[in-house]
Amino acid sequence: MEEYIVEMRHITKRFPGIIANDDVSIGIRKGEVFALLGENGAGKSTLMSMLFGMYTPDLGEIYVKGEKVEFRSSNDATARNIGMVHQHFKLVDNYTIAENIVLGVEPMTRRLGIFPSVDMKRANREIAQLSKEYGLEVNPTELIQDVQVSVRQRVEILKMLYRKAEIMIFDEPTAVLTPSEIDFLLRIIDGLRKAGKTIILITHKIEEIKQIADRCAILCRGRLVDILDVQTASVQEMANMMVGREVSLTRVKSEPHFGKNVLEVQNLTVLNEHRFPVVKNVSFSIRSGEIFAIAGVSGNGQTQIADAVAGLEVASEGAILLNGKQITHDSIRSRAQAGISYIPEDRQSTGLVLDFALSDNLALRQYPKKPYSDHGILNFGRIRENAVTLIDRYDIRSGQGPKTIVRSMSGGNMQKVIVAREIEEHSDLIIFVQPTRGMDIGAIENIHRYILDERDRGAAILLISLELGEVMDLADTIGVIFSGEMLKIAPAREMTRYEVGRYMMGVKEA
Amino acid sequence: MTKVFTDGLSFALPLLIMAVGAIYSEKSGVTNLAVEGFQGFGAFIGALAAVLLMPHLDKSSQIPIYVAMLFAAVGGGVYACIHALLCINFKANQVISGVVVNILAVALTTFFTSAANTALAGTASNKFILGVSNRYSIPLLSKIPWIGGLFQKMYPFEWIIIGLVVFFWYLMYRTRYGMRLRACGENPQALDAAGGKVVRTRWIAVIISGALSGIGGICFAYSIMANYSPSIYMGYGYLAIAAMIFGNWSIPATVLVCLVFGIAKAGGQQLCIAMQLPGNYTDLFNMLPYILTMLLLIFFSKRNHPPQASGQPWDASRR
Repeated sequence: MEEYIVEMRHITKRFPGIIANDDVSIGIRKGEVFALLGENGAGKSTLMSMLFGMYTPDLGEIYVKGEKVEFRSSNDATARNIGMVHQHFKLVDNYTIAENIVLGVEPMTRRLGIFPSVDMKRANREIAQLSKEYGLEVNPTELIQDVQVSVRQRVEILKMLYRKAEIMIFDEPTAVLTPSEIDFLLRIIDGLRKAGKTIILITHKIEEIKQIADRCAILCRGRLVDILDVQTASVQEMANMMVGREVSLTRVKSEPHFGKNVLEVQNLTVLNEHRFPVVKNVSFSIRSGEIFAIAGVSGNGQTQIADAVAGLEVASEGAILLNGKQITHDSIRSRAQAGISYIPEDRQSTGLVLDFALSDNLALRQYPKKPYSDHGILNFGRIRENAVTLIDRYDIRSGQGPKTIVRSMSGGNMQKVIVAREIEEHSDLIIFVQPTRGMDIGAIENIHRYILDERDRGAAILLISLELGEVMDLADTIGVIFSGEMLKIAPAREMTRYEVGRYMMGVKEA
Repeated sequence: MTKVFTDGLSFALPLLIMAVGAIYSEKSGVTNLAVEGFQGFGAFIGALAAVLLMPHLDKSSQIPIYVAMLFAAVGGGVYACIHALLCINFKANQVISGVVVNILAVALTTFFTSAANTALAGTASNKFILGVSNRYSIPLLSKIPWIGGLFQKMYPFEWIIIGLVVFFWYLMYRTRYGMRLRACGENPQALDAAGGKVVRTRWIAVIISGALSGIGGICFAYSIMANYSPSIYMGYGYLAIAAMIFGNWSIPATVLVCLVFGIAKAGGQQLCIAMQLPGNYTDLFNMLPYILTMLLLIFFSKRNHPPQASGQPWDASRR
């Protein structure tokens, strides 16, 4: 067992109600990229949080460099040269890059030979040098709030390097990146491996594992399924092990049958609260039976387009037509009744009333109409019946059926509630904003099937997604948005993944 | 005119030291509306120490003032532990905790002042008679036309406060503790992940806040009021919070704001005298700093940047 730099033996960790890790044993070799693959809730992050000292295992032992360790806090792990890049970065926005890196291990000097003070000059120098050494170009004196997500991630990596980490844990590092940034990150990870570091990569994206990892442990519902050599394992095999059943990785799309124009957006401009245009003169149209996907990096105005069509945002200029009729100045409800369904980005605040019962949430659209209400009096019997039907049809899992308080449900099931409610309207236009964000392969497969079914039924679909893979899989037509402008609109089969990725970065001529 | 500067500065500096205290607390992520209570309770302990000491010393001795300042700092710091305990350990709503701490301070100090007076002098007075501190002018500087007033008839505590402000500015912006403290108020997760101690950092900051507020309170007692009584709860603590907000939680900017407040107040009084208005109009002119507060609020609150995590309890289990 000498060959392992990290060994976790028979680890079990329970949280109230669930077993997060059940007798998991893994060994990691020095200098390899070791991937942990699994769905959300499979226990990957919990397992690594124990290696990083944030939790202590209920049962089992951890060995680092052959020595048994018992970490009480992440400081203990840091002292053993273990570092971690968390999924949500832990940085201070109004500090410089260098200040963020040295925070907690500040180099000190004495001013005028007496007064102790943090030596930022030395810190800036050391970090500039460190960032050059590993190809992580950053400007140490820039403020975090002024730099992009990919740079913030480099800062997190530099934080580990500055603390002399030998074993580096990355928790879902690519979730926030664009395709070209992902390539860059994978190159960085490769560079770190060449420099002799040991990398542990937590992810649910198999293609990344294929690109970079040496070995891969697959977790499913808290248990270790297998440890594979990435070179020899197939993608399908890994996906099946991860989900625990046969999954289809390819979306079977029938030939499109486009009908008449359902939605027309003409020269739409939307201003934000500072009167600054976030959507600039955007025009497009969607036919019935067509999936129109807007690809783009987060925050480039795509949500505002969806909100403007649904009526949540005011269009300051331009026109929105549904089935040829002006709806630009209509209220949200009259648009919904005219035939728009909306699956919003923020499930919890825009999509649901978390402290209402499941049955009430499923009736949020129809409640003012017969038979759910009559002369303003709600008919709870009908609302319940409706809920029972939809719970069955959409396989919505909850603790107490129709009367479950939605807040207590899992994110995936919350999304099913919204999808069920909105799809059941059989609207002419259905808007999906990030419909599968944070969901795992099995659930994604289901949502994608619903989207394709609605398209085949003849609905016009506006899909807004940050996942380029999702856009490429589903779209009939792709529009790429950058900084509020629609840079390119083209049929999906005429665009490659890389072209779309380049437009997403604002490159006009690919 | 010189009197405006003299009086303005002697009002501005105690206000400033309270505002610096409030900045410490808020920059660490603990909203501090409790300044009023901290200064009142701190001043009470300081005043109590002074009245206990005074009978044993010469009548003109200035020693009790310095002893009172020391005890006011200790009293304010100890009293601030209530706020720290409620906000940091029990994760209470920090605004409500601040209000409760203020109300409690008024009740406790009023009761104990009478109790102490009964025990010491046999009369249930709600006042400790302290007298007014001596004042000194600086040679040369005080002769400068116009601004010379800033250096005339200074209370010794003004010098102590200036020293303290410089020290606490340095502590916040140049040292390891200061760096962690400011991170703690912006993103405690970042500090925690970097191996810092969020709970400890916040506790120290709130105690510093209480100690500095107590010093501010006793300085008011030894200057404008000449005694310690419940009228110490004049709202200066809230004015200090207002100064902190206009100063955008930055110590140098807050220095300027406090000077403006002080000069506005002293200017109002001199204006009242110059216009030969009856004495009861003074109260009207005393409102000047508060009216100024309201006006400044309208213009400045939009572009302010309060510490991002201020008011949010830190929960180590929610990383």
